[in-house]
Amino acid sequence: MAGVGTAQLRPSDEVLLQVTDLYVEHSAGRRRTVRAVSGVSFDVACGETLGLVGESGCGKSSTARAVLQLPRPTSGTVTLDGTDLTTLRGEELRRVRSSLQMIFQDPLASLNPRRRVADIVREGLDIWPDHRCLDADDGGTPAPAADRVRAVLDSVGMDLDEIGGRRPHEFSGGQAQRICIARALMLDPQVLICDEPVSALDVSIQAQILNLLEDLKGLYGLTMLFIAHDLAVVKSVSDRVCVMYLGRICEIGPTEAIFDRPAHPYTDALLASVPQIDAGPAVAGDVLTGDPPSPFDAPTGCRFRTRCPRATERCAEQVPELSEVSAGRFVACHFPLTDEPAHPADDDAAVGHSTTPTSP
Amino acid sequence: MNDPHEIPTLVVEDLCTSFATERGPLQAVDGVSFTLRRGRTLGVVGESGSGKSATARSIMNLLPPGTSATTGRVLLDGRDVRSLSRAESRHVWGVEAAMVFQNPMTSLNPVIPVGRQIGEGLRYHRKLSRAAAGRRARELLEQVGIADPERRLAEYPHQLSGGMRQRVMIAVALACDPKLLIADEPTTALDVTVQKQILDLLDRLRQQRRMAMVLITHDLSVVAGRTDDVIVMYAGRVVEQAPTRQLFSAMRHPYTQALFESIPKVTQPSHTRLRIIQGRPPDLAALGPGCAFAPRCAHAQPRCCRETPPLSGSEGADARHACFYPAGTTVGEAALAANRAAGRTAAGLALAAGAAAGADVA
Repeated sequence: MAGVGTAQLRPSDEVLLQVTDLYVEHSAGRRRTVRAVSGVSFDVACGETLGLVGESGCGKSSTARAVLQLPRPTSGTVTLDGTDLTTLRGEELRRVRSSLQMIFQDPLASLNPRRRVADIVREGLDIWPDHRCLDADDGGTPAPAADRVRAVLDSVGMDLDEIGGRRPHEFSGGQAQRICIARALMLDPQVLICDEPVSALDVSIQAQILNLLEDLKGLYGLTMLFIAHDLAVVKSVSDRVCVMYLGRICEIGPTEAIFDRPAHPYTDALLASVPQIDAGPAVAGDVLTGDPPSPFDAPTGCRFRTRCPRATERCAEQVPELSEVSAGRFVACHFPLTDEPAHPADDDAAVGHSTTPTSP
Repeated sequence: MNDPHEIPTLVVEDLCTSFATERGPLQAVDGVSFTLRRGRTLGVVGESGSGKSATARSIMNLLPPGTSATTGRVLLDGRDVRSLSRAESRHVWGVEAAMVFQNPMTSLNPVIPVGRQIGEGLRYHRKLSRAAAGRRARELLEQVGIADPERRLAEYPHQLSGGMRQRVMIAVALACDPKLLIADEPTTALDVTVQKQILDLLDRLRQQRRMAMVLITHDLSVVAGRTDDVIVMYAGRVVEQAPTRQLFSAMRHPYTQALFESIPKVTQPSHTRLRIIQGRPPDLAALGPGCAFAPRCAHAQPRCCRETPPLSGSEGADARHACFYPAGTTVGEAALAANRAAGRTAAGLALAAGAAAGADVA
C-alpha cells in the first residue's frame, strides 16, 4: 500500500476539490522529520462524500488540515473549484477559506466557553456579511443575521430562543456537536470537512449526528470530506472511501466495492479486525501483528510491507503506484487481492491464518 | 463445563453506590446483582453515565470513601470482601482480583521502568526477591506477546506504543495470578487492528488461567463475540441480563434494542438510515419516578412513568429484563402499536412515523 500516483484523479472539471501529490512534513528537532503525508492525491466531486479512513498516525487528519492550509502543506496542490489554494496569500486565502469549513472531534473543546451560542454561530456572518442571503436567487435583499442564525440552528434541530443565550458548558456532547455543525454551515461552505465528528459521542447520540449530517447534505448540497477511524461509521456516510496507511493511500474507490471486496491487504486486515455482532464467537488470530511503524523512519518501498502477509522483495524496493483494478477503483499494491482463479492458494495464504477457529 | 456446585468466583448482590455531589446524592449504581463462574466472561455494556465503570470500581473497592457510599455484598470465591479488615483486604485487591483500565498511559507510572512496575506486586504480595521478580516480569511480558522482553523491561511507558502499554498493563494485572480480571474499556483508546490483538490476548489468557473475566465496554459488537453472558446498564440499573447468544437473538428491553439498531454496521449498505434514540442520556442527579428510559422509549405507557420495573425473567431461563412492555412480547408490541397510533408515548415523546419504524432506509 502506501502508494503514490495520480491515476485515480478524475478530470478536473468534474470535481470540486482536488488534492494532488500532497506532502506534509514536520520537523521534529535533531534533524528528524515526521513524514505525516507522502504523495497523497484524491478528488471529491460536488455533492459527494469522501471517507478518509485509517488508524492513528496514518495522516488522515494531517491531510484534512493541509486542505485548509492549516498549516500549508510542504508540497502539492489543493484545488478548490479551479483555484489552487497553495498559491494564495493573505486576503485571498482568507476569502476562500470561508467556503471550507471544519467540524472537529471534541465539540466542547472547539467552542469558546465564554461566549453565548447565538454569538458563536453568528460570528461568521459578522465577518462576511454578504453571506446573509438564505438563497442566492431570492432577489438579493439580505435577510437579517438573526434569521439566518435561526434557520441554520433549526436545521440542526435546535431552537435559537431556547439556547441562543446559553454557553457551551450547558450542553451535552451531542448538542455541542450540533452547535459546531450550525457554525460550520453559517457561511454556506462548498466543502465541509468532518474530522472524527462522532468518535467522542455516545452510541445513541452518534446515530443522531450521522443522520443529521446525511440530512444536511441533502438540504445544503454539501460536499464532504469525512474522516473517521471507525469503518462502520465511514461506510454509513461515504460515497467513496480512501484507505490510508502511514501517510499514503492504499486504495480508493466506491464505498460498497471496497467493503465488499477489499483489494489491498491492509484494507482486508482492517475489515477483518472489526468486531461483528452477527458473526458468532470472535475468531482469534492475528490479522495483523505488531503496531504500525513510526512515521520517523517509514519503511522503504511499500510502507505496509513490514506487516503485510504478501510482502516480497519487490515491495521493499518499489513504491507501488495506484492503478485501476476495476471501474473507479484504484489500489496501490504489487499483489492486490483480486479474484484470480488461477491462484486461489495465494488468497488463502494471505488470510488463512486468521480463519483458524479456536475452541470457544 | 462448569460444576454447578463449584463456588462462583464472583457474586455481586444488590450493589448500590452513590456519590455526594453539590446537587445532592447521585445514585451511580442501583441494585446490581450477578454471578460469575470460573473461566467465564461477563460483558457489561452501557453508555457513559450508565454506571458500568462505577460498578467495576465498587467491586474493586476503588472509590474514594469520603464522597461515595457503597452498600451490598461482593463475594470473591465465597468470601465477603467488603467486610474484610484493612490488613486482610490488602492481599485481595490487585492480587486475587485485578483490573485493567482504559488508558494505559495514565495507569502506568511514567518514571519507573515497566519491568519494575510488573514486579512490584510480586515483591510486595509474594515476597519475591528482586531477581526473582525480574525473571517473572520477563515471563509475563512474553506471555502478553511482547517481542524482545529483556529490552522492554528496562524501558519507560512513553517508549512503548499504545498497544504495548496495554499489554504491559495486562502483565501488571496478571502478575499475582488473579482469579478475577476486570477489564474496563481495555481497547477503547486503541486502533481497531490493535483492539483485536488485545481482545484475543485477554481471551487466550483467560482460557489458559481459567480466570473469570468482566469485560466492560460501550461497544455491543465487542461483547457479541467475546462473552458468555451480558448485562446491559442504563442510569445505574441493569435493564437486561442474558446469555450472550440469547441476548443477540432476542433483545427484550427497548433500550437494548434501540442501542443495537443505532449502531452503524459494516454489513449494512452505505447510507443506511440509522435508527436513533430520541432525547439524551438521563441526568442521574435528577431522576424522576418510574423507568429511567421511559422519556426516550417508544414503548412507554403511563405505568412506566410511575413505577420502576424490576429485573425479572419469564421463561424460567437465565434471561431477565427490567421492562413492563418488553419488545417481542404481546404486551410490548401492543404498547408500541398504541403509542404509534397516538403519535406519542405516555412520557410525551413524539413518535414520527419514520423514526418509530426503525429500519427505514433512506
